[in-house]
Amino acid sequence: MQRFKETIGYFYHYLKPAWRGLLLALLLLGLGTYAQVTAPLYLGNAVAALSDYLKTVLTAPAQASLHDFYRALGFLIFFYLLSESGQTLSGLAAATVTAKATSGMRKGLFAKLQRLPLKFFDRRQDGQILSLFTSDMDNLQSAMSQAVFSIFSQGMVFIGIIVMMLRKSFTMALVTMALSPVAILLSLFIIKRARLAIQQQQAATGDLNGYINEQLAGQAVLIAEGRQQESVTDFTPYNEQVRSASQRGQFYSGLLGPLMQGLSLLNLAIVIFFGSWLALHTGMGQAAGLSLVVVFVSYSQQYFQPISQLASIYNSLQLAMTGVHRVNEVATQPEERADQGRSLPPLSKAIRFDHVDFAYQPDQPILKDINFQVAKGETLALVGPTGSGKTTIINLLSQFYDLSAGRILFDGIDLSQVDLSAIRSRIGLVLQDTVLFSKSVADNIRYGRPAASQAAVIAAAKQAQIHDFIMTLPEQYDTMLSADSGLFSAGQKQLLSIARTIITDPDVLILDEATANVDTVTEAQLNQATQAVTKDRTAIIIAHRLKTILDADQIIVLKNGAILESGTHAQLLAQKGFYADLYHDQMDLT
Amino acid sequence: MKRLFTFAKPYWLGITITITAILLVTASTLIQPQLLEKMMTAIIHNDSAALLSNGIGLLLLALVGILAGVANTAFAAKVSQGIAADFRQAEYEKIQRFSMENVQTFTSANLVVRLTNDVNQVQQLTMQLLQTVIRVPVLFIGAVTLAIYTLPQLWWVVVLMVLGMVLLSKWIVQTMGKLFGKVQRYIEESNTAVKEDLAGVRLVRSFNQEEQEEATFAKSTDQLVQVNKTISYCFNIIFPAFMLLSYAAIVAALLIISQTITHHPSELAKISPFITYLNQILNVLLIAGMVSTFAARGFVSLQRIGAVLDTKETMPTEAEQDWADLDQLTGALSVRQVSFTYPQGEQPVLQNLSFDLSAGETLGVVGTTGSGKSTLAALLDRLYDPQDGAILVDGVPLTKVRPSLLRREIALAMQKPVLFSGTIAANLKMGNQNASQADLVQAAQQAQAAEFIDRYPAGYEQTISERSSNLSGGQRQRLSLARALVKQPKILILDDVTSALDARSEKLVQQALAEDFQQTTKIIIAEKLSSVVHADQLIVLDQGQIVAKGTHQTLLAQSPLYQKLYQSQQEEDQHAAF
Repeated sequence: MQRFKETIGYFYHYLKPAWRGLLLALLLLGLGTYAQVTAPLYLGNAVAALSDYLKTVLTAPAQASLHDFYRALGFLIFFYLLSESGQTLSGLAAATVTAKATSGMRKGLFAKLQRLPLKFFDRRQDGQILSLFTSDMDNLQSAMSQAVFSIFSQGMVFIGIIVMMLRKSFTMALVTMALSPVAILLSLFIIKRARLAIQQQQAATGDLNGYINEQLAGQAVLIAEGRQQESVTDFTPYNEQVRSASQRGQFYSGLLGPLMQGLSLLNLAIVIFFGSWLALHTGMGQAAGLSLVVVFVSYSQQYFQPISQLASIYNSLQLAMTGVHRVNEVATQPEERADQGRSLPPLSKAIRFDHVDFAYQPDQPILKDINFQVAKGETLALVGPTGSGKTTIINLLSQFYDLSAGRILFDGIDLSQVDLSAIRSRIGLVLQDTVLFSKSVADNIRYGRPAASQAAVIAAAKQAQIHDFIMTLPEQYDTMLSADSGLFSAGQKQLLSIARTIITDPDVLILDEATANVDTVTEAQLNQATQAVTKDRTAIIIAHRLKTILDADQIIVLKNGAILESGTHAQLLAQKGFYADLYHDQMDLT
Repeated sequence: MKRLFTFAKPYWLGITITITAILLVTASTLIQPQLLEKMMTAIIHNDSAALLSNGIGLLLLALVGILAGVANTAFAAKVSQGIAADFRQAEYEKIQRFSMENVQTFTSANLVVRLTNDVNQVQQLTMQLLQTVIRVPVLFIGAVTLAIYTLPQLWWVVVLMVLGMVLLSKWIVQTMGKLFGKVQRYIEESNTAVKEDLAGVRLVRSFNQEEQEEATFAKSTDQLVQVNKTISYCFNIIFPAFMLLSYAAIVAALLIISQTITHHPSELAKISPFITYLNQILNVLLIAGMVSTFAARGFVSLQRIGAVLDTKETMPTEAEQDWADLDQLTGALSVRQVSFTYPQGEQPVLQNLSFDLSAGETLGVVGTTGSGKSTLAALLDRLYDPQDGAILVDGVPLTKVRPSLLRREIALAMQKPVLFSGTIAANLKMGNQNASQADLVQAAQQAQAAEFIDRYPAGYEQTISERSSNLSGGQRQRLSLARALVKQPKILILDDVTSALDARSEKLVQQALAEDFQQTTKIIIAEKLSSVVHADQLIVLDQGQIVAKGTHQTLLAQSPLYQKLYQSQQEEDQHAAF
């Protein structure tokens, strides 16, 4: 029930702006439905008129006239046309309203994502968030365009027909409706069974697909170890499980259609039987009798339509409710702090970490009492084993997370008191794993400064030592890239990333060096590019390459979230501590 | 299509039942209006007895319709899911006879689709065939025939209505087809925008590009919403158009009957049945349109599955040919002028490689990224066959060595380790099912994996999840190495297995290899020269060719390329410790 209210609330929020269109759609629907349920009456009248005409022709030919018939026919044509035009226009209005609402839903969700803190994205797989758009939004859209309006149109038809039937003949109305409780109960029973069966089908299919995926992804190992036969032997039980579960799932979910059709036929049979019986045995006269049967045959067929739609509407709503819940879960997440117009002047003296503590989870501290200072123009190298907190420090500097304790100061200004966009515009971030966007090489480089000229792009690329490589590409700067483009090696991607950052000319550079296999040529280019980009610029580098460390003005050694040692390379070697050991181990290997 | 029949044959009984059932349903639908006519006639003639008998007939007919409908669904589900499962089994068995070359021709991701999505499409196609496709033509022909039979002079009304609806359908299919294509495209664009926004979230924030991202997304959303709106508009015009055609037919029928009713009074009773038949024709044509789109997809999938089933396997199984009379290997390896290009590749990855290794020797393979080292490893383990040249073990070409012997005596630890869901023990035992617990522990110790395995409460029975997401890269590498070592093979191929290890661990692994695997021929591929300086032989690969061969000392003295490599690695040394 809670979910249902949540869903109504969500749809209401997005349909409200288009309330006029909605109202129009409903009014037109009402008109069209009224016409649809009235038309059969005139069909009946036409048949009755013909019957009377026949009788009159036989008894008093001079008075026989088709006038009543033509009148009934005229009304019939009118109501047919009204019914279809009303429903068509209503549908068009509804489609327009739905389009607006859907657009609002998608854009609203995307905009919300742009305001959520990084923590939100760390906790979820990208695929999960993407499915909100591909799967849940899809379901919401279908639900709105089909189910929501269906409920109204089918509902109106249903009520309209019942009213019409009761007015025409109370008895026949009851007869026509007699089977419906059975039909509805049967529907609900089958829907419930179907849902269970489909859940099992999906579970079995999920298991099978998981198995297939994993085996085929590691097919090389299966071949190398000669395990193909076993792979097939293990496959069979999964497959058989899917066979039986899918059979049941398919049966129950496919049952409703034919069953409703059959019940409709049965209903029709009952109506015809009973109607004819009434016509003959209640002395209503041939004309009235025929008319009655004709009208209720028509109503019976129309009456069962909404009940048959029940199942698909129910399923659609179920999916929509799940979808709304998942989307709302995102919509109610707390956001990063909004900009309030508090800017940050360019760095003139130093960055300082003042007793900084950070814990991602309350019981798992990552940084403990971090204190250090980087003077303007200085290069600081952060070194330490994996998991020692180096990446966390640069994340905190970009204000991707909030500190647990302490302050980060820019020239004495506490960063937590400054606008996020102001801070981030002063900092240039080069990450370890570079993300390429589906744009041209030039647009990828000018990402942070879309208005940058082609000359600026080329200048940045030259400084980053990637210009020559770009010129060897088929369309050079216009070559289109994509997320999984294999054109750039890992090292070259970082060079591109450096170009991206250079073009925005940040005050402070943060660089997380790539560690993946980098060949000697790219190695040299990275060194040059790093030098170029850190010259005369305040920089903090998570260093993996010896040259970077040796060139740094200051080295900080982190271990287990605390600063172990700090100083220049020479000073640290002299301390004969952790750093000195690491250095000598590395040298011994060569 | 023929293939579908082959797979359908075992289900002939179910198919017969389901087709009979659907024909019963159709008959029941078609006959009902006839009985309706009789009822109306009975009213006109005040015939109570006829009323009763026809009435009961109507009820029985409807009941038959319901039961037959349920039976049809049940058996159609059974048959279609049965055929689908059979297709899956056949495909999977076939794929497990594939060589890597066969797999790469499709790519493993594509094979998964052919096992899952495509089979689903075929299953739905079969279901449609057994339910709708048989019913549609029968119902159509039946309804048209009976409509004309009921009121013969209105035959042209029926024909005109059908013609109008068919033309309308054609127009719909054409227009909708184009629109659906557009929808797919725009959905992909929209999804790409979201995917990239998520993947690059740190970039977006640090460059303050949130507004731009929203603008990009808004553009693709607007496109998508527009097309969907157009599709909705089409639907909202089409259905009423169909209805109007049927209404026109009804009105025309009434009008015409009214002119001749005095000469054919019995026609009064036929109006209602005639209208019922018109409605049946309308419904059938609507369904036919929707079904035809599904059918097309199903046939495409059938072809794709067929492509897999018809593939010629390039590596025969043990039973399929005669093998050399070799029961054991000493591990002597000989590579003679081997050249290799990947199935989808345009350039050869290896060119004219030649070298010899005696049993028990260690070969070091170095070279820049992309020089073909991992490809060489794959060829030595006979995952692929070279296009030119041959690889011989103990003088016998790999292509003639019995597969069971080959797989047992050669072990490969790959650069990107692959582990499977299951226990650590099950993974380690993959190459040697007869390994004892002691064997597993020994191999784990040699690979420096024992220390982290022992930290798990379940130890070797610890389960690894899919894609080994709960293990670090270094841990996966060590398990992969341990798996190779458990086999105690005659030939051991190690592809960059220590890249994620720190200096100390690497040293210990090298020690273990030197001490415990003295009789094993070892081929060690490494990024760093430091890992292979002690090898009996070294080859340096560059762009798929051997550019230097010898021992560390001779190469250092004689090869300028080797000297340069050594020098630059000394200076630029990076990695794990920092």
